[in-house]
Amino acid sequence: MAFDFPKYIRQDIPDAYREYWLKLGQPGSWWSGAERIDIAQASRDAVICELCVQRRSALSPNAVKGEHLISSSINLPLEAIDAVHRIVTDQSRISAGYVDQNEAAGLSKAAYVELVGIVVTVLSIDEFHRAMGMSLERLPDAQSGEPDQYLPVQAKEGTGFVPMIPQDGATGKEADLWGPRGTANVIRALSLAPNALRDWIPVGNAQYLTFEGMGNFDKPEGRSLNRMQIELIAGRVSSMNECFY
Amino acid sequence: MLRVSAQTTQTDIDIHGVTGNANAADQGITHGRLLMAFAEAVASRDTSEIQSSREALRLAAGDAVVVDAAGVAANFQRMVRIADSVGIPVDDLENDFGKETRATLSLDEFHSARNSLG
Repeated sequence: MAFDFPKYIRQDIPDAYREYWLKLGQPGSWWSGAERIDIAQASRDAVICELCVQRRSALSPNAVKGEHLISSSINLPLEAIDAVHRIVTDQSRISAGYVDQNEAAGLSKAAYVELVGIVVTVLSIDEFHRAMGMSLERLPDAQSGEPDQYLPVQAKEGTGFVPMIPQDGATGKEADLWGPRGTANVIRALSLAPNALRDWIPVGNAQYLTFEGMGNFDKPEGRSLNRMQIELIAGRVSSMNECFY
Repeated sequence: MLRVSAQTTQTDIDIHGVTGNANAADQGITHGRLLMAFAEAVASRDTSEIQSSREALRLAAGDAVVVDAAGVAANFQRMVRIADSVGIPVDDLENDFGKETRATLSLDEFHSARNSLG
């Protein structure tokens, strides 16, 4: 069984990871199951990519030319591979111009958003393994089928580099995403590919807190850490990543 | 969030633990220094540092704390990348509390500040 963890790891964590692994191998909205697995593998390649190390230390990522480390099994456009590596290793320097340039080269914003969702969710699961000193889980097998090319009609440009569902736009098929009072931008961020958002939420619930649990600033239920301890870790990781948000 | 949780519990803390000051991390936060070191190791993917900081935390606080700490660190490795990959701005840039925190921690110097500040 996937994510067969030691008993001292609370059960909701491997449960959430297994649930995500099932979805990872299935066709998404803009990528096939095989492509989604390739994106996941590329996120693992990025962690040990020498070009990414050089670019990260350069004044501009474009100043360093070369080729990314790419596993032989991967069959993705180079723009997609570069995007995966940038998200893993140099995300704070991703710009609107970079996303627009990729769109002009054929990587649509909707496909980019789904790709971001895969990269960040797989990365966070892998980071948990590295943090715990455990081997990474084998990626799931790809399932057959075609992407459904679903786009939420209410998505609009204007908040970040990609269209998002507006604060009051979680209606119809997207009514489950958030309530009528709106939500934080970081929740709306991947809403152009609604399943990308739906897929990372359970992982976040297990690793951090549920939306309900976020309202408890003292000692969240089911956690060994109090909220100050949790937010110290959150803040230090965000600061290490130079995340202004 | 750290400040809000400190205010809620009426705890005197120093938020410079967020920027890597170990003494500040320990002020008012149990195992703060060890949690900060573990968070740094996870974010930097330094295998040796991860192992040593994890074991130090485990000895001081136990397995359950290590698991929760690993989960939170892994979670924020995801969240920062969601925010920066699509360039979202801060939700309420004019909030005085947020302004003060950003000034205290010099966050305006980060590359990704441009997504909020232009």
